[in-house]
Amino acid sequence: MSLDLTLDGQVVPFQEGETLYEVAHRHGDKIPTLCYDKRLKPLGACRLCVVEVEGANGPLASCTTPAREGMVVRTVTEDLEQHRKTLVDLVLSENPKGAEITPLRGLASQELAQLSVRYGSDGTRFAGATSGHPRLDDPNPMILRDYEHCISCYRCVRVCAEQEGDYAISITGRGFGTRISAEFDVDLQDSDCTFCGQCVQTCPTGALGDQLALQYTDLPEPINATRSICPYCGVGCSVDLLTKGETLVGVQPAMDGPANEGALCIKGQFAWEWVQHPDRLKEPLVRKDGELVPASWEEALDRAAAGFAQTAARHGRQSIYAVASGRAPHESAYSVQKFIRVNFGSNQIDNCSRA
Amino acid sequence: MPASPTDEQLITRWQDEPAPLLPLLHAFNERDGHLSRESLEAISAGLRIPLAEVHGSVTFYHHISDEPESRDRPRVCMGPICRLNGSEQLLHDLDGAEPMACAGRCDDPIPVLQADRGLVGRPGDELQQVPSPLPPPNPAGIEECCLANVREPDRAACSGYVRTGGYAALAKARAMEPEEILQVLEASGLAGRGGAGFPTATKWRAVRDAQGGPKTLVCNADEGEPGCFKDRVLLDHDPHAILEGMAIAGLATGATRGFIYLRYEYPQTQAILERALEEAEEHLDGFEFCVRRGAGAYICGEETSLLNSLEGRHPFPRNRPPFPVTHGFEQTPTAVNNVETLASVAPILHRGAEWYAGLGLGEHRGTKLISLSGDVERPGNYEIPMGFPLKTLLFDWAGVPEGRTVQAVTMAGLSGGFLGAEDLDVTLDEACLRAKGSFLGAGGIMAFDDRRDMFEIARQSMEFFASESCGKCFPCRIGTERLVERLGDPSGPLDPAAWTEEVRAIGQAMTQLSACGLGRSAPLITESLLRLFPAEVSGKLGAE
Repeated sequence: MSLDLTLDGQVVPFQEGETLYEVAHRHGDKIPTLCYDKRLKPLGACRLCVVEVEGANGPLASCTTPAREGMVVRTVTEDLEQHRKTLVDLVLSENPKGAEITPLRGLASQELAQLSVRYGSDGTRFAGATSGHPRLDDPNPMILRDYEHCISCYRCVRVCAEQEGDYAISITGRGFGTRISAEFDVDLQDSDCTFCGQCVQTCPTGALGDQLALQYTDLPEPINATRSICPYCGVGCSVDLLTKGETLVGVQPAMDGPANEGALCIKGQFAWEWVQHPDRLKEPLVRKDGELVPASWEEALDRAAAGFAQTAARHGRQSIYAVASGRAPHESAYSVQKFIRVNFGSNQIDNCSRA
Repeated sequence: MPASPTDEQLITRWQDEPAPLLPLLHAFNERDGHLSRESLEAISAGLRIPLAEVHGSVTFYHHISDEPESRDRPRVCMGPICRLNGSEQLLHDLDGAEPMACAGRCDDPIPVLQADRGLVGRPGDELQQVPSPLPPPNPAGIEECCLANVREPDRAACSGYVRTGGYAALAKARAMEPEEILQVLEASGLAGRGGAGFPTATKWRAVRDAQGGPKTLVCNADEGEPGCFKDRVLLDHDPHAILEGMAIAGLATGATRGFIYLRYEYPQTQAILERALEEAEEHLDGFEFCVRRGAGAYICGEETSLLNSLEGRHPFPRNRPPFPVTHGFEQTPTAVNNVETLASVAPILHRGAEWYAGLGLGEHRGTKLISLSGDVERPGNYEIPMGFPLKTLLFDWAGVPEGRTVQAVTMAGLSGGFLGAEDLDVTLDEACLRAKGSFLGAGGIMAFDDRRDMFEIARQSMEFFASESCGKCFPCRIGTERLVERLGDPSGPLDPAAWTEEVRAIGQAMTQLSACGLGRSAPLITESLLRLFPAEVSGKLGAE
């Protein structure tokens, strides 16, 4: 039997177990949220996703309300929009600079800025104390901890626990004095943080920012995103490479990446500066008179082949040992072992992932 | 002097007990005077809770801290009534003292909590450890339920309890089918006396019918509402009535294990309960009940926060559904009941549903404990018939100081906001009070006469809600802070019309959108201030 409910006047089907937010989202509704990340258990903190349900005593948070047969749900009414405006005004009042954040900070960093435009909020209504306690002094070079912009949605804490399993950060204090910190407020490098950067990418205000990307804030060109696959290992995480002109300025995980659904590890997220590093090897080098000098591929391969042959002749075939890169996919790894077995008659083959 | 226990001994003592985090935190805190990094690391490893989470939870509670020597600092009650009695002076006079929220002794001199000692006194007095005051005799001789035997000598001891009829209802219940027990309760009309008013039989039946187990009972003794001290009198003077109620709840629901979650501020009560549990062992055959002491958090009186706290999780309220009756303590079917509700169970079973229902006035059923304090001659706990006139309680039973007039009373402690002089002809029942935009809740009433600055009382009240807001949902976390600012040093608009517009808008968002009762009811303070005292509001804003 199919389940149906009425959503803004339309009868729509839903699956057992879906929340009202999921049903509405699937039908194209743009219900505003700040604490929502579809990968995480809904928290029901920001209350922006409230909807009216006939028979309910007041608005309900759609992200935590299970859809039920026959419900009559309204997602946009004058009252709801007024409540949402008040909420956005309240949030901006504790974070008045939230409306101007560079998208280089992170994937979700524009969410609050977009809501401030949608609801015409500039942070002046309900002005008062701000709640953030920046940790700009955290010496790690990757994650900017600019908690002046923090709105206590706890997406960072939740993604760290639920997705990454690190439990490196948690909620300390309470109420307006709530802060996000590692245990005893230690620097991230002294905590259980693995610098996967998922907290950065889910932060809806840019309070957590990608420090590497932010180095390129002043480049004038617009940001361009190019979908690619992370080159580091065989998982195949989808990424968007951010460029300004010819310069790579950052990597963001793809939420729709089938292998990673928005997740990356420290390497995929932050280890990309080599791409345009002056020390990067761009052509073959061979050693001549003790100095490395540029050479053609032909010359370089000849030198390598001669070196292998000489070593095998002098020390026997077992002296050749191959370590395949953990970044290599199956096919490449297969080629490596084939190459070593067939060409050198050696079974000494390993993979760097064992190290 | 015995050697202090090692980390390992403490962990071993508690790690296989149910709900071990709170007692373990208290044990380390007691040993060291604070919770050191090393202690939390040992606890984290012993209980397999991530260190950052344990630390985060410690920082949430008022009364435990990682600061050295924090445990023994005296804490002075800053509840609205204690401030009238000079608690700010006392705070100033006591070396190293810290303020604490209302500690639930508004019928006493000012409470001062020092580690495991609950003292009382006034500025200049020597602080003393005294038992909770007994309730004043019922002035009109009206029949009581919970308080009927509480004044009997030795009632808190098992022998005294049995001598005055105790545990007879449990013996009777053991011979009944669960369904029969539920039917009696259903017919009695007993509903949650912690304030929510949910029918007790319906809750118990849901637990009984729920899949899975083991089923769990929780007695909510985290009486944190300012101006409420009714559970304390029952816990201190009639602890066996609560245990008997829990055991009957166990028979009705199929639960055999249970917790009493006691607020941190009642240290003597913990000893009383633990003694009662020991003494009642034979009566409680088949049940395992234990006491867990909170660590200072009003929100833990909210049942799902309480459950998270018991489980050792960050004590934010949970989203509902699912409800505790199916997914409560450690996701098992759980009945969470208030102290007063549980204390009513044995008398109902003993004397019958009709007797209890008949105690109420008119169509109202049963009784309600009211903690009455403030500007009255005889503050204390009164058990009134549901539907009783407030004026009779206030003027005839408790008495108002000679030559004074009452300008406002609070309802539901602070959560129901203020009723003004013109509202006093209400009857004490939810229907009547809700029609006035307030509610009875847990039954705390604080009276303020014409000497008092109601704007200031409102500011103190909002300060309480702001400091107790857990920080989970936006409207409450930001809204309570903004309302405190507007009631204190002005940071909002000073034009009364603009001020009122802002305060109303914030209040409306909080009432409509907050995730739990704290944020939903806190704006009743500002709403009722604006309704009852508009001239005082304008005066304050003009004077700034």
